[in-house]
Amino acid sequence: MIRGKVAIVGIGQTEFVKASPKSAWELAMEAVLAALADAGVDPAEVDGMCRYTPPFEPVSEPMLVRGLGIRELRFFSEAPLGGEALGAVMAHGASAIVSGQASVVVAYRAMSQSVGGRFGRADGRPGGADGGTHIVVPEEENRSFSWPYGLMSPGQLFALWATRYMHVHRLSEEDLARALGTVALQQRRYANNNPCALMRDRRLDWETYLGARVISWPLRLFDLCLENDGACAVVLTGTERARALRADPVYLLAATQTLAPYREPMGIYTEDLLELFTPAAAARLWQGAGVGPGDVSVAELYDATSFMTMKSLEGYGFAAEGQGWKYLIEEGIGPDAPLPVNTHGGHLSEGYIHGMNGLTEAVRQLRGTACNQVPDASVALVGAPSGSAVVLAR
Amino acid sequence: MAIIPGMTELTRPYWAAAGEHRLVTQHCRGCDRIWHPPLPRCPHCHATELDWRPAGGEGTVYSYTVVEHATHVAVADQVPYVVAIVELAEGPRIVANIRGCAPADVSVGMPVRVVFEQVTDDVAIPQFVPAEGDGG
Repeated sequence: MIRGKVAIVGIGQTEFVKASPKSAWELAMEAVLAALADAGVDPAEVDGMCRYTPPFEPVSEPMLVRGLGIRELRFFSEAPLGGEALGAVMAHGASAIVSGQASVVVAYRAMSQSVGGRFGRADGRPGGADGGTHIVVPEEENRSFSWPYGLMSPGQLFALWATRYMHVHRLSEEDLARALGTVALQQRRYANNNPCALMRDRRLDWETYLGARVISWPLRLFDLCLENDGACAVVLTGTERARALRADPVYLLAATQTLAPYREPMGIYTEDLLELFTPAAAARLWQGAGVGPGDVSVAELYDATSFMTMKSLEGYGFAAEGQGWKYLIEEGIGPDAPLPVNTHGGHLSEGYIHGMNGLTEAVRQLRGTACNQVPDASVALVGAPSGSAVVLAR
Repeated sequence: MAIIPGMTELTRPYWAAAGEHRLVTQHCRGCDRIWHPPLPRCPHCHATELDWRPAGGEGTVYSYTVVEHATHVAVADQVPYVVAIVELAEGPRIVANIRGCAPADVSVGMPVRVVFEQVTDDVAIPQFVPAEGDGG
């Protein structure tokens, strides 16, 4: 149990831009230094580090250790499966602190999609050429069973989920568009009030949303996340140290990772395609946190697509199974909704830092320093794909 | 430009069968269950005595998407195309394109049957067409 034993004492980020002239290494250093400065901790004190497994995270622990002159790490770990790593790096870091294996843990994520390959493109990834005429897809995580059919990118996978959702819960195309558009438009409105957001100056209305080109039916352009460069970092310590460092530490109530057959983020062979994660994983999260969905003031839910925001509302228990779309249309996710969601603009409109910018936003909300501040926010949920999650409290 | 599956020891029998225009799924001799994609052992009883069982080739569309924006240069000239998860009558699900009808005519639950598409001289892959259709 990590509840009440670990806190986030520092957050840092770079600017989020379409294409940064800076290397991923420099972006990571900038974000980590900002987080350490925010915490008031000397880089030499860092003794633990958690990151996303390569090839997702391009910046290694050795690069940061020598780049920042860190004396010695005594705990470092990597978490696989892309965005799922968000809850995992927090779980690993917190576990290291609770078990005494580290005292100051940095977790970071540096994105350099402008040079490092875009997640929305499949061309740049390994796939050898056969005499220059054919692409041979190496068998890895069942890709050789999907790529030959042109199923290659996350957006296409989420479209498969969305179609199934429409069928099972008897939605018309218009119903789905109203629900997902509610997500896209509200997250854009939040971003319009967030000076750090890539989409701060771009308005989005229903006409533009509905008129946008279809990427992978039933998903349109504005249902899909951004691709960009930037980095975020957070600093974890034990609660005693946290209280000495600052008046407003943000406490970890729970941090989880979870895996069941074919429920990795790009898994498609799971028995029920619509089950993002097992109900037991959500129950375990809330039990560990000692709070329930009704206690949450604000949620930052992983939104590779608007569909994920909707489905996560069901998965974590804010809406009944199959009712997320109605909940969105009736209640929304705006500042006056029962649950404001993705208050920074999310991956759809602030920037895509693989969930880490949702984590930093949750910390700002609990400190009371967010752009779109939820009044008196006391508990925040940060959701990641496949049920990996973090629950925070001030 | 064709996109062809790389093969491993585990997956080669599936594609070799497809090359002979046969659809097969892995089968456990111990507990008589089948599944897809291939695994080193039976995921139910952990037996290593596995073989390949022919599937009838009938199925239904479990879900689908119409890809209108190509994310790989190799499929740039194919959009729009339908990617479906097809649930075989025997149970396992496989990914395939739906051929032989317009994207707008595809629906979840639609009965489909397997056909084989020759993507190179040596490689054929299972695809599906509407069960009533002539396969286009």
